[in-house]
Amino acid sequence: MWDGLVIGGGLAGLIAGIRALERGKKILIVSEGVGSLAFAGGVLDFGRVRELRRLEKHPYAYVGEMAERAFSYFLQLNPAYTGTWGRRGSVLTPLGTLRETELLPRRLDASPLFKANKIVVAVPGGLKDFFPEIVKANLQKEFPSGNVRLKKLSVEEFADWRAAGKSIPGTVYAEFWGTERGNTALKRHICEIAGEADSEAIVFPGLPAIGCPEVDEVLAGISLPVVGMTSFPPSAIGLALYESLTRRVKALGGELLIGVGVERVEVESARARRAIVRSKGKETALTAETFVLATGGFLGRGLVATPDDVRETVFGLPLHVPPLRGGKDFLGEQPYARAGIEVDRHLRPCDPATGEVLLENVFAAGRILAHWDPWLEHCGGGVSLSSGLLAGELL
Amino acid sequence: MVRYSAQVVIIGGGATGVGILRDLSLRGISSILVEQGDLAHGTSSRFHGLLHSGARYAVKDPVSAAECIRENNILKQIAPECVAATGGWFVQLPGDEVDYAQAWLKGCERTGIPVHEVPLEEALKREPLLAKEALRVFEVPDAAVDGFKLVWENAKSARRCGGRYLTYHRVEAILREGEGVAGVRGENLLTGESFTVEAGMVVNATGAWADRLAASAGASLEVVRDKGILLAFNHRLFQRVINRLRPPGDGDIFVPHETITILGTTSEWVDTPSDNQPSDREVERMMTLGKALLPGIAEKRVIRAFAGVRPLHRSDSEWAEGSEGGRVEEGRGRAVSRTFALIDHEAEEGIKGFLSIVGGKFTTYRLMAEKASDWVAAKLANDVPCRTAAEPLQPELPAHLRRRARALLPCAAAEKTLQRLGRDAAAVLETIARDPDKGQLLCECEMVTVAEVEKTVADEDAHHLADVRRKTRLGMGTCQGAFCTYRALPLMWREGEKYDPLSGELIRFLNQRWKGIRPVLWGDQLRETELTRAIYAGLLDLREGGAAG
Repeated sequence: MWDGLVIGGGLAGLIAGIRALERGKKILIVSEGVGSLAFAGGVLDFGRVRELRRLEKHPYAYVGEMAERAFSYFLQLNPAYTGTWGRRGSVLTPLGTLRETELLPRRLDASPLFKANKIVVAVPGGLKDFFPEIVKANLQKEFPSGNVRLKKLSVEEFADWRAAGKSIPGTVYAEFWGTERGNTALKRHICEIAGEADSEAIVFPGLPAIGCPEVDEVLAGISLPVVGMTSFPPSAIGLALYESLTRRVKALGGELLIGVGVERVEVESARARRAIVRSKGKETALTAETFVLATGGFLGRGLVATPDDVRETVFGLPLHVPPLRGGKDFLGEQPYARAGIEVDRHLRPCDPATGEVLLENVFAAGRILAHWDPWLEHCGGGVSLSSGLLAGELL
Repeated sequence: MVRYSAQVVIIGGGATGVGILRDLSLRGISSILVEQGDLAHGTSSRFHGLLHSGARYAVKDPVSAAECIRENNILKQIAPECVAATGGWFVQLPGDEVDYAQAWLKGCERTGIPVHEVPLEEALKREPLLAKEALRVFEVPDAAVDGFKLVWENAKSARRCGGRYLTYHRVEAILREGEGVAGVRGENLLTGESFTVEAGMVVNATGAWADRLAASAGASLEVVRDKGILLAFNHRLFQRVINRLRPPGDGDIFVPHETITILGTTSEWVDTPSDNQPSDREVERMMTLGKALLPGIAEKRVIRAFAGVRPLHRSDSEWAEGSEGGRVEEGRGRAVSRTFALIDHEAEEGIKGFLSIVGGKFTTYRLMAEKASDWVAAKLANDVPCRTAAEPLQPELPAHLRRRARALLPCAAAEKTLQRLGRDAAAVLETIARDPDKGQLLCECEMVTVAEVEKTVADEDAHHLADVRRKTRLGMGTCQGAFCTYRALPLMWREGEKYDPLSGELIRFLNQRWKGIRPVLWGDQLRETELTRAIYAGLLDLREGGAAG
């Protein structure tokens, strides 16, 4: 018997679990997958919170002041991150353009580049999905007063990969820089660049920007600013964030079951009682006082669409479903993005037709909530963190 | 103003147009083909990719059926790299007319289409997803054909013997001189420059646009624009073409291509050649109809929907017979013959040197080209015989090239590269041998290497990412461009002058892919959409209008 059962172990679910554990609750997190932090590049967007809060039924409208609290809470949870409430910082996209965001690993903060006249881009040999010429040209456009040059690094460790015509994923590079040999190599390469006369700042793709003290130590000894980059999926930084959160859960005494999907939840008089999970071919019942539903949207499979309808996969809850096939411009408004669960101010699922609360002890958080679009509104991290934190307070 | 001159100008870069270009070039007649988009961007690529055995027409249209079986055999000989000889089945389901099967068997026999019956038990073993209620199954020599590739191979073969083609060149007027034609005038759509081609003969092979072009020269012909929609599934659901044994109807053909399957099609008359956007209603209908042959269809992943417009020729007699107070009904396109027509505008309207060719279908493109070329050759008093029925499209691949490919690339990737490039693979393989990095698979779905995309991008015919896609199949697999679009970027960058600013090109390509995904936005394709938006709108911060950041 748990105080709280969190269904879904992505950003929202993990934050809910961590907060509830801090409050002394006994918590189990059950998750079919590992969330989608690996796709996000490790930065957390909050977007224009004040404006979005005014939109009827936007998740920010429900979480209220929790958005600002979630912002500070996350900074305290992850000292490798930086940010100032109400202000935006800048990071480099994988293409070398600037992108605004609110919470970012210190190591990705691109602001030192505005002051540099001479920018060197380190090019680790064979780094996958990294295009030096494009990055150079984009940086040149973003920082017209700075001179940008590329510096190729040949890394012996991967000579065999290169000879076989294989590129090296950013996650492999990030791990390597943290090993003893990688660390020595990194130090040598960075010192060499820093020693060259025409270097005032270094852009370094594929660095483990968080969760790697060995690399931090090397970089601390360098007099020039070293700026990391977000990367094309899978992102080493996103994965490191995921790992640091799961470690935190365990450190606080929480339990995590990963790779286990909830088949269904038994409900009695508008209260969820027992979640039935299937693991190794056996069904097991997990009983809890309260539940968090953070199974994600369509990508996370919290929602599943068939040609005729959209289903919520755990409780079969009624959903807000706009006509899915809308917008002509792929990157413009897409109605499907706003499908999901409608909730009350305590994140309890409601019937979209009547507004009636359907489950008293279930709190929905993250991408499964209705009426928002993380890609147009640039608020994916903010909504997940604040709804997750609120759920963690309610568990 | 850029001036070209030739004996013949062909308008339209679909299968028929390039077929004529090749045929005339092989006969030593100097010819230029003018196309308003990329080659094969229209109907020649917007179909199910079925190389008909003719069996589908055996009852109602024996002329077409006989043409099909003959051309089917020829194409398997001259273009084996474009054809997958999968064979095809005609499946009778409960409720299908029993009499039709008898008439069909007779029709096939009469037109020379070999048929043999497959025992039911064996059929269900070989095609486990097929409806278990099937009553009878017959095998015919249907096959799958790659429309893009066949068109490009015709163009390349024509070029080897002197034929020329101009893509992204739009014809604005047919030039007249006395009683005859004197060539065409138009605009290069990439540069905005105007051009003329001086030629004593003009061949109109513009398919769904043919009536409009003819009218601009004061000639008339009747084209019915018959739209058919298609769904692409991300698995090879069947190993062979599956047809329904009944009078041809909607949603009753499945054609396997490489790792996907295409379900076709519908028949609906439309007003404009560019009406190729499938509607939600049409998609829904196809899913319902496809269920009869493939009961598990709703669980299969549809990766995109698309549509093509068949240019059917309607002669006066058919017009009278088919007309019901001028009302156009769905499915009526099937009442019009699928054979083709040559319209000699000298005989019809007294315009010398002007020929239109319309109707027919992809399977018979070579025959259509032969007939059109015979007409041209006769007018020019050229008596070199047609060689296209015997001359392979691609010179034979030397054995050492295949060995080289296998040594440098994974087995399947090697085969696919050879199939796509033929002898041109040599240069790509040498690049990979020199720089193994270039052997990386840029498109993991269709197994396209960096070196191949680089070569295609550098090609003088490639102007947009979509042109590269049609030649390499980049972005046409399961991910529908989510990953390879990003990976193709640096290759285009080096060709900086030729392309629009990069983010604009990226957004244009994503929107083109989106057009086909939008009508099938459910299941895993919706998941893929959320991921693709996360990458391009979220991570890369690209926004509509082209500006990043």
